Amino acid sequence: MNDIRHISQEDLALHAMQVLSAEESAAVRAHLDQCAQCRGDLASLSGDLALVALGADQQPLPAGARERFFAKIATEANMSPAADRPSVVSIQSKRPNPAAVWVPWLAVAALLVVSVTLGFEVQRLRLALEAETEASGRQAAAHARAQQVLDVLSAPAAQHVLLTAAKTPPQPSGRAVYLASRGGLIFQGNNLAQLSEDKTYELWVIPASGAAPIPAGLFRPDASGNASVVLPPLPAGVPAKALGVTIEKAGGSATPTAPIILAGAAPTAGE
Amino acid sequence: MNDDGLLIVRVQTRDQVAMGAIFDRYATMVYSVAFRVLKDAAQAEDVMQEIFLQVWNNPERFAQGRGSLGAWLAVVARNRSIDILRRRRPTESSDEVVLHAATDLSSEVERNTLMAKVRGVLKRLPQEQQRSLELAYFEGLTHSEIAARTGDPLGTVKTRIRTALASLRKGMEA
Repeated sequence: MNDIRHISQEDLALHAMQVLSAEESAAVRAHLDQCAQCRGDLASLSGDLALVALGADQQPLPAGARERFFAKIATEANMSPAADRPSVVSIQSKRPNPAAVWVPWLAVAALLVVSVTLGFEVQRLRLALEAETEASGRQAAAHARAQQVLDVLSAPAAQHVLLTAAKTPPQPSGRAVYLASRGGLIFQGNNLAQLSEDKTYELWVIPASGAAPIPAGLFRPDASGNASVVLPPLPAGVPAKALGVTIEKAGGSATPTAPIILAGAAPTAGE
Repeated sequence: MNDDGLLIVRVQTRDQVAMGAIFDRYATMVYSVAFRVLKDAAQAEDVMQEIFLQVWNNPERFAQGRGSLGAWLAVVARNRSIDILRRRRPTESSDEVVLHAATDLSSEVERNTLMAKVRGVLKRLPQEQQRSLELAYFEGLTHSEIAARTGDPLGTVKTRIRTALASLRKGMEA
């Protein structure tokens, strides 16, 4: 070991395991006090040694270990305040039979330990229940959305639209299922060209009533040119004449900008 | 702040539920490390109880930032067990232990996966490296004692331990 040259990794490892002699450890400590680099190396080696500890075969806890731990905590909690009550001690000193005095106190202490343990168990179960409830809520929400998707896809009244490019290859295309009564729309685009960062594709529902096109979601294709829009927020009860896709600025637009990249007429509902 | 960090903050407010969560998460691991060193259930439980009592009474020691709670508990369990094995006074091990452990052990799945991986890497080490590391780490022998027991030169013993740790780190990163 050398204070000037840093402690070797070998000696740092032995120091971390506390198996150096007292003199060697003192020398290492003296160096570590002055050397941030060696302190860092030591911390890394300690991390490695923690892994070695984790290599120990797992043993089941002895029965009752948990209860003993919480009883110990409860006992400590009860001991501290008791020490601040000299009046209790003075009563004890007046009793002719000290053992008789301790019996009720021991009973109280035992009951206290039991009640604290039970209280803890109740809290633990409550937390577990809350976690279960939360998980159940998440599952219900996921299920509801999946059901919505199924409803739109399988509804007899859904309008199935095939969107194709006006020009030849590569052939961007899109398929959409639109359920006007619910405002449900599922769109899948394929072979879409990649866009620059400041641009995005925007899907539009063109109402049969002749009203202005309704924005139905922004999307960008993945590396394979595929993209989808699933259940964008749309008003219910707006039958579509057609669906279209345009290229807009990254944040989207309130009105479609020409040219229309993909377009498809929506057949009458139920066709 | 990770989940363990939040639990420690709650323990600082004497929250027994949080302490219970830490106990449930790490007690088996701490007990197993102590048992591996001491090979005695009663002594191993004593070490385990003492360490968790220390967390309960002085959570700020860990809250000051000593790396992963799980890794810290494992190292302290080993150090305290070695103190008992060698019948020496408790070292200041828990205060001194500061470690860099990249792995978060708070998830049971990740913890079990990690343990299995560690065992796999350790088993693949050359026999003499395994032996030197085990004698130093789980039996607390000094390198001189290991050299005397195995008949190897001191320098060789040191190199084997260092190489074993380096291989373990590399194996875990792979």
